[in-house]
Amino acid sequence: MESESQRLRLSILGVVMLSLFGALFARLWYLQVMTATQFEQQTTSNAVRTVYTEAPRGRILDRWGKVIVDNRTSLVVTVNPHELDLTNRRPEVLLRLATELTRAGVPTKVSMLEDRLNDKQFNPLQPIPVAIDVPEALEITLKERSEEFPSIDVKRESVRNYPNQPSTIAAHVVGYTGRVSEEELKDAQGTEGAPKTIPKPYQPDSEIGKTGVERVYESKLRGTPGVCKLEVDAKNKPVRTTECTPPVPGDDLVLTIDLELQKNLETNLALQLFAARGSPPKDGVPVRAPAGSAVALNPQNGQILAMASYPTYDPAEFVNGISAARFKQISSGGGSDNPLINRAIAGQYAPGSTFKLVTATAALNQGLINGSTVIVDGGSFKFGELTFKNAGGASNGPVSMAKALTVSSDVFFYTLGGQYWRERDRWGSGIQQQAALYGFNAPTGVPLPGEAGGFVLTPESKKKLNEDNPEAFPYGTWNPGDTVQLAIGQNVVVATPIQMANAYATFSQRGTRYKPQILAKTVKPGTTNVFDPANDVEIVQPEVAQQIPIPENVFGPIFTGLSGVPEKALGGTAGEAFAGWDLKAWPIAGKTGTAQVDDKADTSWFVAYGPAPAPQVVAVAVLEESGFGAEAAAPVVRKLLEPIAGQVPPPPFPVFPPGTDLSALVPSQGQPGAAPATVPTTAAGRRPTR
Amino acid sequence: MTISLTSPRPRMQDTSRRDLTAAWRHIDLVLVFSTLAVAVLGIVMVFSATKAKGAPGIADTTFLKRELVFMGVGAVLMTALALFDYQRVANWVWPIYGGALVLLVLVVSPAGQRVNGSQAWFGFGAFQMQPAEFAKIAVILALAAVMAGYKGDVDLRRLLVLLVLAGVPIGLILLQPDLGMVLIFVFVLMGMLLVGGIRVRYIVLLTLLGVAGVWGALNSNVLKDYQKERLTAFVQDRSNGASALETKNLSPDEAAQKGKATYNVDQSLNAIGAGGVSGQGYGEGKQTQLGFVPEQQTDFIFTAVAEELGFVGAATLLGLYALIMWRVWRAATLSRDLFGALLCVGVLSFLMFQVFENAGMTMQIMPVTGIPLPLMSYGGSSIITTFIAIGLVLNVGMRRFR
Repeated sequence: MESESQRLRLSILGVVMLSLFGALFARLWYLQVMTATQFEQQTTSNAVRTVYTEAPRGRILDRWGKVIVDNRTSLVVTVNPHELDLTNRRPEVLLRLATELTRAGVPTKVSMLEDRLNDKQFNPLQPIPVAIDVPEALEITLKERSEEFPSIDVKRESVRNYPNQPSTIAAHVVGYTGRVSEEELKDAQGTEGAPKTIPKPYQPDSEIGKTGVERVYESKLRGTPGVCKLEVDAKNKPVRTTECTPPVPGDDLVLTIDLELQKNLETNLALQLFAARGSPPKDGVPVRAPAGSAVALNPQNGQILAMASYPTYDPAEFVNGISAARFKQISSGGGSDNPLINRAIAGQYAPGSTFKLVTATAALNQGLINGSTVIVDGGSFKFGELTFKNAGGASNGPVSMAKALTVSSDVFFYTLGGQYWRERDRWGSGIQQQAALYGFNAPTGVPLPGEAGGFVLTPESKKKLNEDNPEAFPYGTWNPGDTVQLAIGQNVVVATPIQMANAYATFSQRGTRYKPQILAKTVKPGTTNVFDPANDVEIVQPEVAQQIPIPENVFGPIFTGLSGVPEKALGGTAGEAFAGWDLKAWPIAGKTGTAQVDDKADTSWFVAYGPAPAPQVVAVAVLEESGFGAEAAAPVVRKLLEPIAGQVPPPPFPVFPPGTDLSALVPSQGQPGAAPATVPTTAAGRRPTR
Repeated sequence: MTISLTSPRPRMQDTSRRDLTAAWRHIDLVLVFSTLAVAVLGIVMVFSATKAKGAPGIADTTFLKRELVFMGVGAVLMTALALFDYQRVANWVWPIYGGALVLLVLVVSPAGQRVNGSQAWFGFGAFQMQPAEFAKIAVILALAAVMAGYKGDVDLRRLLVLLVLAGVPIGLILLQPDLGMVLIFVFVLMGMLLVGGIRVRYIVLLTLLGVAGVWGALNSNVLKDYQKERLTAFVQDRSNGASALETKNLSPDEAAQKGKATYNVDQSLNAIGAGGVSGQGYGEGKQTQLGFVPEQQTDFIFTAVAEELGFVGAATLLGLYALIMWRVWRAATLSRDLFGALLCVGVLSFLMFQVFENAGMTMQIMPVTGIPLPLMSYGGSSIITTFIAIGLVLNVGMRRFR
C-alpha cells in the first residue's frame, strides 16, 4: 500500500467493521443475557401423537426358498389433497409438481395428477401416492424447495417386488396388494364405536393383500407396525420421541409351489393355447382358445405344486395403487377374458369324459356292473326315442370298464346312465353321491380367495335352480337324458380344474381326499435356508378332507383303464400325445375330456397322475374353446410331467422357438381371441382361416 | 501497519517464483482455520436444523450430505485459488467478468428457474446454481483491476466507468429480482470505492443519489405499476417472512394476535432469547426443532445457533467471523499492490455486509432480506463462492513479500 490516504481509508473500513460487530455483539448480549428470562418460559403447546411406521411385508417363497415376491424400497411422491386445498394454490402447485416430475423422467400432466387425487380408491385426507420410483434428484428438489411444494412429500416406502422374469409368474397364486379400503379397515379393526383389538393395526394408507396368497395369509405376511409416541408442535410436526417400538417385518411364506414347475406350466399353457388358435374351425365353430388353466398337486398330501391361469396379469402394476382407469381396462377386457380371474379355482367347466371316473366308481361301488362286465359299443346308444352317439361316431365293439375308459367309450357310459335312470329307485342319485365323495359340487377349500364350487345337479337341485333363477336355468324338470348326459359329464355338471385334480388325486390314493394346500410353512423374515428347522415359525400339516371307499375291485378296473389312456397300442385317447413316453419307466394314468359347449368350440380337458400306482403328482389342464382334450390339453400336462419324470431334460425357460413374438404372451386387452402375430412352430401352416 | 512494508524488499523473485513452497510459508493459518471452523459449525448446525424433516424417528441426512459436498468442493477450490500468483488472475478478469454477465443474462431467460419469485437459478439435476453468487467474485475482480489502474485517484469520469462496471450486473440481478443480492453488490462497490480512492464529495453525492433514486422510482411513473408491485411485493414478501406459506402454519389465534409481517422475526427473537447464555443444547432447541423458525437451515441459521448453543455459541461464531474479517482486512493492508488490496476489500465488504445483515435480521436490527450467512447457511453457490473469495485473500496474503 503506497499512500497514506489509502491506509486511512482502510482504517475507516476497519472502524466500520468493528462498530458493526460491536452492534451485533451488543444486541446478542441484550437478547441472550440481559433479557433472556423473559423468553425462557415461552413454551409451545405440545401434544402427544402416536405414529405408526409400516413394517415390510413378509416375502413369498417357493418350496425351495426361491423368491416369488419380496420387497424393494421405492421413492414415492405423495400429495395430501386436503392440505393442498388449504393453501389455495392447488393449480399452481400441481403444475409445478407435474413439471418437476416430467423433468425427472416421469412424464406427468396436471390432468393425470388431478385424476389420481380424485380417484375414489384413496382417502382425500391421507397422502396419496402420485408417482413411484422417482429418482433421488427429485426427492432433493422437492425437499430443498419444500415451500414451493406444500402438502407434497417424498417417502421411502417398502413396496412389493416381483423379481422373476416375467413378473407375471404365479400372479394368480400370490395375488396383489393395495391400499386398505374403508371396508377392509372396518373389517380388520372394527369401527370407532366397536373397535377390535388386533396385533397389527392398520392405518388408512396401509397396504393390504387384495387377492391370492397376499390376501389369505395377510395376517402372517403383514408386519407389526412400529409405534412411536411423539411430542408434536402446533403444526403437528414431531418434536421428540417419548417411546418407540420398532417395526417388525412379517413372516416369510414358503409356498408349496415349485417355481420351475410353475414357469413350465404357465409357459406351456400359453404356448398350447396359441397353438390351438391355429387350428381350423371345428363344425364351423372357430377355435378361439382364449383362456385356460392348469393345476399340479401332490396327491399324497394335497400340496399344490403349480397353478396356472391364462390370460394372466402383472401384479407389479398394482404396486402403490393401480389407477382406476387401468384397473377397468384390465378387468373389463370381456368377462370371459378377464385376466384377474384364477381359472384354476374359479373356472367352472363341463368336465366331459374326465367325469367318467365318477360314473365308473359309482357303478362299480354300487354293483351295477363289475370289472368284467362287457357292453357292446356299436357307436350309438338308443334310449327311448333318443339316440346318443360316440364323439366322432366311432364304434369300439365289446368293451369292459377298463377298455371303456382307455378308449373313452361314450356308449358304455350312456348305457350305465340309462341303467341308472331305469333302476333309479334302486340306485338313487348314485352318480351325484359319488361325485360329492370325490369333492365335486363344493369348494375344495383350497386357501385361495374366489374358489367356485361347481355343481352336479340332482333332480331336486335342478328344480330349485330353475325356480330361483329361471333365466339362467330355463328347464326345471329332470329328463332321462339328463342322467345319460351326466354319466359322461355333460349338461348337468360343471367342475373346476382344482376339483378335478383333487378327484383324481383321491382316486390315486385309493380314497384319501386331502384339502389342497398352497402354504407349506411360515418362516422367520429374511430366511435364506428354508430347510433349516430353526427358521420355522409354523408348519402346515396335510389335512384329510374325507376318506372315501374305493375297494380293490373298484380301483383295479378303473386304474387299468386310466393307465391305458396314454398307451397308443391300447387305443388310448392320449396315445398320440404321449407318443415316445417310456410308460414302463414312469407309468401314467389319466383321462382326456372333450366337453361340448353351445355355440363354442369344445372345452379341452386332460388329467393325469404318475408315476402310477404311487404317484407324486396329479396334473390337470383345461383349455377353453380349444377342441379335443387329447390334442389341446394333454400336451400341457405332458410338458409338465417331462422334467418331473426325467424323460427329457427340463426345458430351459422360456421355451420359445426363435423369432417368436414374446409380446404375444402378454394378455391382450380388448381383442379377445386375436391370433398372436407369430404362432409357435407346431401350428405352422394351420393358421386360422378367420 | 506499524512497520512500512512498502519499502523495497531484497530481490529474491528468481528463486521464490519457481519455489511454490516459498509462498506457502506465508499462508495465513489463522484465516484458514477460522474459515474451516465456521464451515464445520455450519455443517453441524444445518444438520440440526434439518434432521427433523425426515420421517419420524429417522434423522434426515439429505441436507447434511449435500452440505458436506458443498463444503468439500469449496475447500478444494479455496486451496486451488491460493496456488498461483493472484496477479495472473488479472489477465483473466475480463473473460471472467464477461462470463458472469452471460450467466446473469441467461438466468433471466427461460433457461433459468424461478424459485420464490426470483428467476435466479440454473437447475442441473439435483443441484442448482445461483450465478449472482459467483458474479460477486467477477465484479470484485473487475473493479479491483480497473481501480488498481487508477492508482488511488478516482475522479468523476473514472467513477462513472466503475459505476457502469458494477451497474450492469446489478441491473441484471434487479431483473430477477433479488434485492438482497443487489444490496450486497452495492455494499461491495461502496467499500472498494472507499479504499480505491474515491473523493469524499462523490461519496456524499452517491449516497444522496441512491436515496433519491429509490424514493423516485417508487413514487413516480418511471416504473410501471406492475414493476413497482413486483419490487415492493418482493420486499414485503421477504419482510413478511420467508414466504407466505409459513403463515398457513400459524394457529388462528397466533395469526390474529401477531401481524403476519412480524411473525418470523418474533419467532427468531423468541428462539434466540430462549437460548440464553449457554443455549438449549445441540439438537434440543425447541423453536428450531419444532420448525417454528422459518428457513432455519438457510436465512435463519443464526437463530438455530443462538437458540441451541446460546450466547456462548453465537458469540463464538461472531468472534470467528470477526477473526476472519480481521485477517482479510490485514491481508488488504499488507498487500504488495493495490489490486490485491482491493480484492481483499471487496471480499471483506460482502462478508461484512452478509454477516451483519443476516445476523442483524434475526435479531431485529436489520430488515428481513434473503441473504445467506457466509459458510453457515445451507446453499452450494454461496458456500463455494465464499471459499473462492477466502482463497483469493489467502493468495494475496501469501505473496505479500514480492
